[in-house]
Amino acid sequence: MATIGAETERYLELYRRMVLIRGFEDLIQSLFLRGEIYGTTHLYSGQEAVAVGVASALEDRDRLAATYRGHGHALALGVDPQALLDEMLGRATGINGGRAGSMNINSPNDRLVGSFGIVGGTIAAATGVALALKRVGGVAVCQFGDGAINQGYFPECLNFCTVLRLPVVFLCENNGYGEYTPFQTVTAGAIRARAEAMEVPAETIDGMDIVAVRAAAVRAVGHAREGTGPYFLEAVTYRYVGHSRSDPGAYRPAGELDEWKKRDPIVRLREDLIEAGTDPDALSAIDAEVAAQLVEVERRGLEAPFPEPGPTSEFSG
Amino acid sequence: MPRLSDSMEEATIAAWLKRPGEEFRRGEPLVEVETDKATVVYEAEADGLLTEILVPEGGTAALGAPIARLAGGDDEVVEASAPAYMQAPFVERARATPVARRTALELGVGLHGVSGTGPGGRIRKLDVVRAGSTSTANGGVKGATTAVPLSPTRETIARRMTQSRSEIPTFDVTVRIDVTTILELRRDVERAPSVNDFVVKAAALTLREFPPFNSSFVDGRSEQHARVNVGIAVAAEDALLVPAVLDADRKPLAAIAAEARELAQRAKARRLTPDELSASTFTVSNLGMFDVHSFTAVINPPQVAILAVGAAQRTPVETTSGGVAFRDTALFTLSSDHRAVYGADAARFLGHLRNLLEHPLSLLL
Amino acid sequence: MTTTIDFRTAVREALDEELAADDRVVLFGEDVAIAGGVFAVTPGLYEKYGSDRVFDTPISELALAGAAFGAAITGLRPIVEIMFGDFLTLVMDSIVNQATKYWFLTGEQVPVPIVMRSVVGAGGRFGAIHSQMPASWFMGVPGLKIVAPSNPADAKGLLRSAIRDDNPVLFFEHKRLYGISGDVDGELVPLGSARVAREGSDVTIVSAMNTVHAALEAADLLVGDGIQAEVIDLRTLRPLDVPTVLASVQKTNRVVVVEEGPLTGGWAGEVLARVTEEGLGDLDDAWRIATAESPVPYSPPLEDAFLPNAARIASEIRTRTL
Repeated sequence: MATIGAETERYLELYRRMVLIRGFEDLIQSLFLRGEIYGTTHLYSGQEAVAVGVASALEDRDRLAATYRGHGHALALGVDPQALLDEMLGRATGINGGRAGSMNINSPNDRLVGSFGIVGGTIAAATGVALALKRVGGVAVCQFGDGAINQGYFPECLNFCTVLRLPVVFLCENNGYGEYTPFQTVTAGAIRARAEAMEVPAETIDGMDIVAVRAAAVRAVGHAREGTGPYFLEAVTYRYVGHSRSDPGAYRPAGELDEWKKRDPIVRLREDLIEAGTDPDALSAIDAEVAAQLVEVERRGLEAPFPEPGPTSEFSG
Repeated sequence: MPRLSDSMEEATIAAWLKRPGEEFRRGEPLVEVETDKATVVYEAEADGLLTEILVPEGGTAALGAPIARLAGGDDEVVEASAPAYMQAPFVERARATPVARRTALELGVGLHGVSGTGPGGRIRKLDVVRAGSTSTANGGVKGATTAVPLSPTRETIARRMTQSRSEIPTFDVTVRIDVTTILELRRDVERAPSVNDFVVKAAALTLREFPPFNSSFVDGRSEQHARVNVGIAVAAEDALLVPAVLDADRKPLAAIAAEARELAQRAKARRLTPDELSASTFTVSNLGMFDVHSFTAVINPPQVAILAVGAAQRTPVETTSGGVAFRDTALFTLSSDHRAVYGADAARFLGHLRNLLEHPLSLLL
Repeated sequence: MTTTIDFRTAVREALDEELAADDRVVLFGEDVAIAGGVFAVTPGLYEKYGSDRVFDTPISELALAGAAFGAAITGLRPIVEIMFGDFLTLVMDSIVNQATKYWFLTGEQVPVPIVMRSVVGAGGRFGAIHSQMPASWFMGVPGLKIVAPSNPADAKGLLRSAIRDDNPVLFFEHKRLYGISGDVDGELVPLGSARVAREGSDVTIVSAMNTVHAALEAADLLVGDGIQAEVIDLRTLRPLDVPTVLASVQKTNRVVVVEEGPLTGGWAGEVLARVTEEGLGDLDDAWRIATAESPVPYSPPLEDAFLPNAARIASEIRTRTL
């Protein structure tokens, strides 16, 4: 059973990250309702432990490809929250100059290869990234949901990475629903079994427990880095909100959300930290700092300028 | 569907004015048709009986398509379609490739005479080149023939003159006007206005008194214009141009004279604007400088009249005392559109004009 | 130094030279390494460069394409072989939704240097789904280059340029060209530049890949009718070298674009659209010759009648010129 052990300082930092993600996503929700964020967006609330736990196991030479539900992973990797918010507000100061928006966010400098809107796209991208990273001992993580298991990219790339021994961690965030459908009704057999059928080492972990996530991620990344092939992690988690902003999640049975909220990852880590000797006031201080930070981020974001339309260069060179 | 506007390809039946089973007499309104320009009443061309309506109210039909079945007075079933004169084809823009057009311009070949051998009868460069190089070697009884194709401008003029003569029921009225006083006035003044300038001013004032002559005839009816713009026919090289003196009824004679001179210069240099060339509501054409004593001019559609001015000649006239004196007189011929005005109107118009020209002091004001 | 080699050798030489010049270049696909390629284009490369640089993959076009994309944005320069152009339907998602969008989405920071080689074209009796010309499916994808050589010199020169190009490039090798020989001087050929394969003053024939040869044959046939045809080999379909075509049309005033592919939505339409927009005043005639709205048939007389050949090209030009 994994514990915080001697890593209190690190877990305080991870706590801050999770609180930031939770607050950020709440802010996105509020801004969307006010019409400041356009199109649609997919929120990560409730799943923070997975992104933050996995990111904590990565080195500078590693990379992560995220799905359209990627804000959590972006922030976990260290993407500047201001640049991230500005991008969703469509401003020129956004991390991609307003060109990408929520679903296409990328930040190669922060190790975020990109967010991919096509289900399974992250798996394709990570396959290629791993092919290149193999030369420098790096590892590529692809994050995807339970729905992607049934997309062609998944079995093809898992097989491809296995036979070519590519350093990939397949991170499946099983939050119970592929868009509006419970995963069991559209998935034959167990998710993890598909990896096991290809003799890929696979684990199912409690995605609401960051300590467990981090420990598993360290194992997975370490294995991949050895060069014998990929590792499969199924993190069982839950999203507090609907699939996208236009989905209120009414297909969920009554009471399900409340059950999961009792296992809130932030609350859980708070309890673990206090049990390991952390002063609760220190945690409350972090809460307040992050809240203040987000107030400032919101203010500056709403004042940021929109980009000027202009010609783009179709080709490089 | 009859052609009730020169640009319509199809039209909508606004209202049938007869029902199936109803008889009608020639000239009676049969149907109201909404064209691209206006709603027009089409009248029966002969006595008959409306047996069946083929296109109902609100329906649309292409030009020439049957819209009703009629029975003639002698039980003959006739499908109503446009009368021959209304079907006179308008010359369309020729179907030719861009290079064919350019070549036609370069060679001075008129596209309308060229038959195309490209796909769909398209005129291509080869066709233009062939048309441009016609010439019979020794000729026959008429000697060697040299083709003189029409330039685009002359083609346009040819087209409009043909249209005018074939469509407009023209009649001509001539009067002899004593211009002695005008000529005497001119001798006394330096840089005097020309006789034609006097005529323009007099015509303008007359037009104001006779609005039906200051009109266009379009779509079967007269449209009177609020402004009096008198066009002056100018012979430029290879073209006959008619720039307008705008508001000639309000301008003093000196101003008209200056403008007329300036317009004539620019006409010869081909530097007139499209507005100047399309603003005339009436035209004055003068061949007096060639000693022509009278002629009839061709009306410029859509105008309803044109005034042709001959040369002033020394003419013997009977004096009040029974003797003979010589006066300077000129023959003025007014050609008019009989759809818009009638003989008596023309006569009265000319009478008024004569009055002004024979008492020209009023024109100097 | 000029050598006379065949098209497939020209391709292999280009791959060899670029693998040698830059160790970021890698080559992978189905049966390209150990077997040397199903069209025998890549023998010897695996032996020379090893499995880190040249390797075989499972039959997984989705994974292949994804691997190319991910590797290209992480410092490698991948050359991927998609065995038949007809299979490009399977890689379309990765090309369209990943490879050709990354340059834009990263704010022009990260280029995607992929070369996707694919064997295309009819005339080999391979039937409906191994004989297509996929160029038109991809003409509407911004950020993508499409290269289509007609001879060994261009195959080598263009492939080397494509590998050095920082953008995603679809490189089409027409299966009927592999055996033709030609002089190769080893010079790089720039992408996006057409070549006047034969000069003439009466009509411009624009084409690419195998059909260029039919066009040249047609031009020979037309000499007897007193018609001098100018033949333009586009070499790159996207982006099109419109100025070269326009200069020719200015001279001849007549242009026919011959495409091996269905008429509707074909790249020949794009050529005519550009010529019309930019050179309308020079046009006396403009049309296309393409294939019928039908899949490629198998039986030889059916396939031969289906494809644009020299006799048909010459006949149409003759009818419309004389």
